[in-house]
Amino acid sequence: MIRWDVVQGNFPLIASKLVEHLALTIVAVGLGLVISALAVLAIRDSRRLIGPVTGFFSVVYTIPSLALLAFLVPITRLSFLTAEIALVGYTLFILTRNLLAGLASVPLDALEAADAMGYGRMRRLWQVEVPLALPLIVAGIRIATVTTIGLVMVTALIGFGGLGQVMLRGYNFRNDTLVLVGFVLTVALALAADLGLAWLGRTVAPWSRARIG
Amino acid sequence: MSAIRAATVTFDHVSKRYPGTGAAHPGAVEDLTLEVPAGKICVLVGPSGCGKTTSLKMVNRLIEPTSGRILIDGADAAEREVTDLRRSIGYVIQQVGLFPHQTVGENVATVPRLLGWPEDRRRARVDELLGLVGLEPDLHRDRYPAALSGGERQRVGVARALAADPPLMLMDEPFGAVDPIVRERLQNEFLRLQDSLAKTILFVTHDIDEAIKMGDLIAVLEAGGRLAQFGTPDEILAHPASEFVGRFVGADRGLKRLALARVRDLVLLPAVTAQLGDDAARVRRLDASDSAGFVLLVDDEGRPIGWIGPRQLPDSGGLAAAMAAPMSPLLDRRTTLKDALAMLIDAEVQVGIVVDERGSVAGLVTADEITAYARREREAQTA
Repeated sequence: MIRWDVVQGNFPLIASKLVEHLALTIVAVGLGLVISALAVLAIRDSRRLIGPVTGFFSVVYTIPSLALLAFLVPITRLSFLTAEIALVGYTLFILTRNLLAGLASVPLDALEAADAMGYGRMRRLWQVEVPLALPLIVAGIRIATVTTIGLVMVTALIGFGGLGQVMLRGYNFRNDTLVLVGFVLTVALALAADLGLAWLGRTVAPWSRARIG
Repeated sequence: MSAIRAATVTFDHVSKRYPGTGAAHPGAVEDLTLEVPAGKICVLVGPSGCGKTTSLKMVNRLIEPTSGRILIDGADAAEREVTDLRRSIGYVIQQVGLFPHQTVGENVATVPRLLGWPEDRRRARVDELLGLVGLEPDLHRDRYPAALSGGERQRVGVARALAADPPLMLMDEPFGAVDPIVRERLQNEFLRLQDSLAKTILFVTHDIDEAIKMGDLIAVLEAGGRLAQFGTPDEILAHPASEFVGRFVGADRGLKRLALARVRDLVLLPAVTAQLGDDAARVRRLDASDSAGFVLLVDDEGRPIGWIGPRQLPDSGGLAAAMAAPMSPLLDRRTTLKDALAMLIDAEVQVGIVVDERGSVAGLVTADEITAYARREREAQTA
């Protein structure tokens, strides 16, 4: 089924596409996280803004990926930008939801104590709220990352796509080995990211495992 | 310990009104004027919504007053930089509010860290404070709050509030979330601590018994945030200023006044004790007529194990723990007479064992002695 000579012959292509896949994912989740964090900081205390902004992100999330690409190409061309706009767009809903849930999970009494002991706003955010919200934030990053790894495949249609390109080439040249390699590596990447981030989620919250006696 | 530092706190016509609502908005405070002298515990007590917590939170400006001034050692709190002000005031709340992601040591070191103390000074202070509140530093310093019992958490909360040696402490129902036995112990420990710390403390509770026990001064607030009476516990129990105060302190004022006296105010009866391993024949010759022939068995540190009655006492041989009957309640010299009486009634016994700080037997207290004390006090009052 799999022809190792084909794998060997296409090794530079496979390796570079794996790196591209990873890069597209990391940039998308990273940018998504920055945008979501800024959005959350802006809207968290405003009952008027929180609904419309999260609503907008959820609408973006529901747009089919092919339709979104088709909509963007006339504006931003077949570019890295187009790919990332789409990929980042899909992370926003997941990440803002988890950031908000994470901040909401911080116990009110801890916040009151922080205020009463003389924490400033920024200090309270970084030293109390963010650490306590981290388990839920990492959970959001995990879902967003796995989702993005899958979506990157679709950007093969505009000339990116990482491992999606490998598979597409396999289809076009009726090369089963390339299709299979693209498939297996994508799944492996998603699994590795999932397990790695699950582990990270546990290590960022050692205190939650402290229930002994 | 550092030198005693305490601040005078003055409420000067302080009001907090919530716009758009009537005067009876819960938490509102109306023209509160009172002064808490340095080193005293002032308890703010009243029904829910009477503004006691609001009054407390206006001191460290978690809530800003609508009008009036709060002076700390004569200086207007409103004119100080707010984080600076708060770092100089200890704060303890019912839910404790420990940071779950920080160890006990890190929690206690919070304010010193904010104040920029060097690491070694913080570490030394943490160990000193944990010892002060009765937690072995080596056992507790590196644990997370989730691994502590309710009583331990509350102690850590008190240690954290004391960390930077603030001259003023605000305590909002600090012992409200623990069971009655632990609460009683924490109250006693805190009063013992306060003997040496002599901080100025504003203490909020809805429980008049706790107010009587903890307060040097009590401010009774009524609905609408008005001060109904301000005075010592004895004044408030003996001469309630209004019908409201009378109803609030309750019909059992006589019994409550027992809460103002403590076991140490009584002359303790000597306990007839025998040590583990003592010869029974010798113990038989002891005169234990005060305790109906019962002898108190203690270990080699003098800590009580239980009573041995004449019938359990063998003719000869060494005394063993298995011969002892269940114990009477253990009382502290600080236990109020009211609590002591309640404990005796609950345990259906006549005699309580008084122990010292190390748990060794100091003497005995009987229910008769407590009621006789109440009778004498009442007669002295009416005379």
